[in-house]
Amino acid sequence: MSNCIVEVQNLRKDFNGTSIFRGVNFRIMPRETVSICGNSGSGKTTLVNVLSLLEPPTQGNIFWQNENVTNANSGKISQLRPKIFGYIFQQCNLIPELNVLENLLFPTRIISIIKKSDIEFAKKLLGQVNLCGIEQRNVSTLSGGERQRVAAVRAMINHPKIIIADEPTGNLDVKSADATMDMIMNLCDAHGSSLLLITHNQRFAERMQTSYVLGNASLKKLSDHL
Amino acid sequence: MKWYIYLALKQLFPSGKKISFFSAMSIFGVALGVAVLFVVQSVMEGFQHNIKRMIVDTQGDVHVDRQRIICDGDALVKFLQSFPEVEAAAKYAYGFAMLKRGNQSLFPLIKGIDVAKELRVTGLGKFIKAGNLDNFDCGGIILSSELARSIGATVGECVEIYSPAMLENMNSDEVILPKTLEISAIYETGYHNVDKSVAIVPLDILQDLYGLENGIHGISLKLQTGISPEKFTFQLNDSLDESTHASSWQEMNQDLLFVLKTEKTMIFFILVFILLISAFSIASSLIISVVRKTREIGLLSALGGTKKQCAACFLMQGAIIGIIGSAVGITAATTIVKFRNSIVALFVKLCGVDDFMLKFYSFANMPAKYGVRDIFSVAIFAIGICCIAGMAAAMQVAKINPAEALRNE
Ligand SMILES: Nc1ncnc2c1ncn2[C@@H]1O[C@H](COP(=O)(O)OP(=O)(O)OP(=O)(O)O)[C@@H](O)[C@H]1O
Ligand SMILES: [Mg+2]
Repeated sequence: MSNCIVEVQNLRKDFNGTSIFRGVNFRIMPRETVSICGNSGSGKTTLVNVLSLLEPPTQGNIFWQNENVTNANSGKISQLRPKIFGYIFQQCNLIPELNVLENLLFPTRIISIIKKSDIEFAKKLLGQVNLCGIEQRNVSTLSGGERQRVAAVRAMINHPKIIIADEPTGNLDVKSADATMDMIMNLCDAHGSSLLLITHNQRFAERMQTSYVLGNASLKKLSDHL
Repeated sequence: MKWYIYLALKQLFPSGKKISFFSAMSIFGVALGVAVLFVVQSVMEGFQHNIKRMIVDTQGDVHVDRQRIICDGDALVKFLQSFPEVEAAAKYAYGFAMLKRGNQSLFPLIKGIDVAKELRVTGLGKFIKAGNLDNFDCGGIILSSELARSIGATVGECVEIYSPAMLENMNSDEVILPKTLEISAIYETGYHNVDKSVAIVPLDILQDLYGLENGIHGISLKLQTGISPEKFTFQLNDSLDESTHASSWQEMNQDLLFVLKTEKTMIFFILVFILLISAFSIASSLIISVVRKTREIGLLSALGGTKKQCAACFLMQGAIIGIIGSAVGITAATTIVKFRNSIVALFVKLCGVDDFMLKFYSFANMPAKYGVRDIFSVAIFAIGICCIAGMAAAMQVAKINPAEALRNE
């Protein structure tokens, strides 16, 4: 077996008896960048939720770093998940009661205790997304683009193996979407994380090494842009 | 610090803001409930303490009596004083008699005491409002304040006493000569029932009036400080013969004590509703915040939080409100209790309540009493109720499915 980060075999998810997808097989290797496209409602979000076991699959096997976690207990999954996955959602990524720095360090706080080096790492990451000096700002004072960049930094804070970005630029205008996308890709590259990008944007999809399309309840590999 | 406690604190006291409106209102509600509960309970406790003190001061700690008249009074006193727990013992006898001043007559209870001993057993000395006890032993009488007032008697005047024994002799056509006694003092305990109608005379005079010879009705005891009257009487009754019985002041006044206790419990239950109402509003606000933060709860799961931890975050919010609310409430309450008399005085000034009302309700010098235990029990109670409120929200959190929560707009 190869050293893939996540792998799914023959995955199937039903809601109320109707299949959202079935027979899905794919794997993501270290440093690989992957995109999943598909019409709205085709099940992209469901696929990544099942992949990271936020939702149980109806059928099939899920491997995280070659370990079959399909039937692992919820305590173990809660423990493993933040070490493997970092998330960037389309919106409402940040906790409004915390300031920027506190938001960035929050995932670390959940899985361990915060050390001085974590704070420095957070500040360094903020620098990499051109957001120096906003540590103490209240998140409600940030623009949408800034928020998504902060979310990208937060996703990176625990050195995850893969960043899952579910339409991270969906709410942004073209210019800041491009900028944000660049930052996310740079971050992943700089820290050696894989990237799983869910997007409607064809241009972004093409920038990934591998592209998939979810449609008619199955996942098809479009191309290897390698 | 555990992350869910940290987040609970942050949600109540967000970064960059001092305090959220919700926390301020919730804490205020709990503090109000705690303060009212605490102030009322300590004032009640103060009043009750005074009543109990009055009982002990007027009756002594323990009474020993017999079904018939005690003829060997001195021997019994000697026996009782052989107990190291007994500090002092005083013989007494009592009976009803007609008291006459001019053409006014009343039928008070007359108590005969050995004044020197009595002063060591009861607090009679501190209730004397007029006159003194210097000449009491040679034909003096002490009247309770209301009795004196109702017959218009003052210190130094004489009153006449007719005992039932005298009336019995009426048949034999004798002229009855009443006993004439000089009022040597007037006493007032401040409690109507005691002050209403009691006269105190030297024991030998009462014995004479009632034809008791050397007999007495009972002996009152004062115990050494720290000795529980209830425990001591239990022990004492074992060493007394069948017909002689010792009873503690608690036993003798158990009806009154029961009423006092019930009263306090009832007030507690009524006031607890203030706390319950604030707990309900905390619960509903927290549940609203769970609904509002559904997506955030999904996010916490994605970041590695377990369902239990997410639920604990909301439970903690209830607990924190309870802890801070109790602290604020108790601080406020102890301050109010400390300055209660100035507060009442200010209130009187502002509202123009007249002095008579104040005296009537003993508000002029309001008693209050509380201990560390009272503080803890009120605080723990309030925190418990707030935790239950937090629990209601936590149970909503436990129902949330993280994947669905993340879809929540
Ligand atoms: N808990 C659920 N119960 C029933 N149906 C569900 C549930 N969750 C999702 N679905 C359905 O599954 C389908 C896939 O939803 P999903 O959110 O994965 O689509 P998507 O590809 O991410 O769409 P979009 O591009 O708009 O985000 C939808 O038709 C949705 O209604
Ligand atoms: Mg989606």
